[in-house]
Amino acid sequence: MTTVDVAPQTASEDWAAPILSDAEYRWRARRYRFRTVRRAAGFLSPYLIIWGVFLAVPAVWGVFLSFNQGGLIRGDPRVFVGFDNWSRTLSDSELRTAVRNTSIYVVIAIGVVFTLAIFLASLLNHYRKGSNFFKVALYFPLLAPPILGALMWFFMVNFDFGILNLLKRGIFGGDGIRFLGDNPHALLTIVAVEVWRGLGFWVLFYLAGLQSVPEELQAAAKVDGAGKWRRFRRVTVPTLRPLLLFALVIAVIFNFQLFDSVQVLTDGGPRLGTATVVWFIHKRLFKFQDTGLAYASSVGMLIVVLILTGLSFWLLGKRRQREA
Amino acid sequence: MTESTATDVGADMTDDDVITDGPTDLAAPDAPDAPPPSEAAAMAARLAEAGRAKRISDRSRKVVAYVILSLFVVIAIGPAFYLISPAFRDSVSLFTYPPEWIPSEPTLENYRFLFSSTSYVRWAINTLIFAGSTTLLTLVTNSMAGYAFARLRFPGRNLLFFVILATLMVPVAAVLAPTYLTVNTIGDWPVIGDWIDIDTYLGLILPSAVSPLGVFMMRQFIETLPDGLYEAARLDGAGEWRIFTKIVLPLIKPALVVLGIFVFMLTWASYLWPLVAATDNEFRVLTVGIASLKGQFVTDWGILAAASLLTIVPVTIIFLFFQKWFVQASMAGALKQ
Repeated sequence: MTTVDVAPQTASEDWAAPILSDAEYRWRARRYRFRTVRRAAGFLSPYLIIWGVFLAVPAVWGVFLSFNQGGLIRGDPRVFVGFDNWSRTLSDSELRTAVRNTSIYVVIAIGVVFTLAIFLASLLNHYRKGSNFFKVALYFPLLAPPILGALMWFFMVNFDFGILNLLKRGIFGGDGIRFLGDNPHALLTIVAVEVWRGLGFWVLFYLAGLQSVPEELQAAAKVDGAGKWRRFRRVTVPTLRPLLLFALVIAVIFNFQLFDSVQVLTDGGPRLGTATVVWFIHKRLFKFQDTGLAYASSVGMLIVVLILTGLSFWLLGKRRQREA
Repeated sequence: MTESTATDVGADMTDDDVITDGPTDLAAPDAPDAPPPSEAAAMAARLAEAGRAKRISDRSRKVVAYVILSLFVVIAIGPAFYLISPAFRDSVSLFTYPPEWIPSEPTLENYRFLFSSTSYVRWAINTLIFAGSTTLLTLVTNSMAGYAFARLRFPGRNLLFFVILATLMVPVAAVLAPTYLTVNTIGDWPVIGDWIDIDTYLGLILPSAVSPLGVFMMRQFIETLPDGLYEAARLDGAGEWRIFTKIVLPLIKPALVVLGIFVFMLTWASYLWPLVAATDNEFRVLTVGIASLKGQFVTDWGILAAASLLTIVPVTIIFLFFQKWFVQASMAGALKQ
């Protein structure tokens, strides 16, 4: 059927066009456009409907909601409150704690996981024998959902029978460590759990990157007498820089949404020591009735993420321009 | 000069380098500015000595590297093994000191409890329905949309693609409240509200199938297919739909497998949306169910370990069979996210 649609049209461009009157030509063009749109709509609509209703519309609606309070559960009607939520967002101390915790977490977790991943990837790139086994084994934590990974560590860090405390008592003596019950510890434990989970992924990521560094460059540097560290600094890092920047952006955006392990391990405690932004949003929405604050902070988070993304793409583009 | 260069190069020698045993090779006296024979012999001896020392330090460095790697392997898979013992014993016996690694009275009591007194089976079925349908829906909608963006010309195509792609970075958490409200609102409508609502399968599935990542992947992949294929099919009188189902789909099978694994892994592991969208036990999924086994104040460790272990084992087995695909899938997701 489509062939019939298309064939005369292409033919008319070749030879029939001159004999068409203006009106007829316009009509045919319109009919052609209508058909292409209809055909595309057939293929696009299944995705567009789902995407529109459950992502695009909510994203826009969220901005409007941030000027409202309530509406999430029956018997709590939505009312327009203007900039009330936004001014409260700026002054809420719990949210401030959550933002601070999340930032600390993001910085430490990414710093640790990237350092370890680059180190391990270099080792694997260098010592190829058995590297497949190591890759598979390091990838393992990613198989389990974040919730289950966190629960495994719930056993590992238990005060009474967790292996970390058994080792601590056995080697150093004294009392155990309350990994989830004391304050700097809890957030650091969460960092450790997330580093453990993400490490395999980033090792594979950097390994793929390292293997894309041209052999000739390395060899040339080697012939010029560059040592191992010099070669890493002057050849590997510059070649990988766009990849590194890109990885950093993904990691920041992803880690900013820390929720699962916090929810299951500490529920924000002790004394808000592990409260994160998403945990705060979820809590406000579904535990307390303070929906307005949650609406506004969701939009705030969206804005931060979009700015970060835009900024990084801008940086990437600028760098590419300079290199070109 | 020759000497310093040679040892320097030697210092970076490793077994995977092409020029192994570099020092001796480089000391070959055919260089144009070769020193007199006696000096050369002395130098060769020195170099051989350095080479031997080098090889020893290379070997010890290699040992250290493998020890470090093994240590990280132990850290990576150790926590899962730490669940085995608690899963097969009475929770109280966990607290004995000194610890008893192998339970003296192994028991399947935890599993009996899990199957009889919790809804573990229900959760598992729900997870399969949830992740399976989300994956299927994503594959169908994304490949169709990807085809449209790759092959069809229509006004506003690039703008639409850009708008869709722009939503790639929207975090689930940031649209949690409005999405919840959307589903809740639709739930109040007649007829359609019976199907899409909080605590329905579709209410759980549809908002999980929105990511534009697959559309992007599919478009990229379909664009690489040669144009000749389409022209030949079109000349044979095939319509777009025929071309899509009979020619394009079979050719993009590898990409579909990768996307499918990626979406399935992401969906069955997801927690935040199922936590708020499926509160009723009838629709609860494994992640939410198992997390609910960890009591707020008192935890039954044995049951928690049993449930976690039972959930991880099948995935691990599947993973070991198809590891290559898994790794590819996770990379595909990352590089395109």
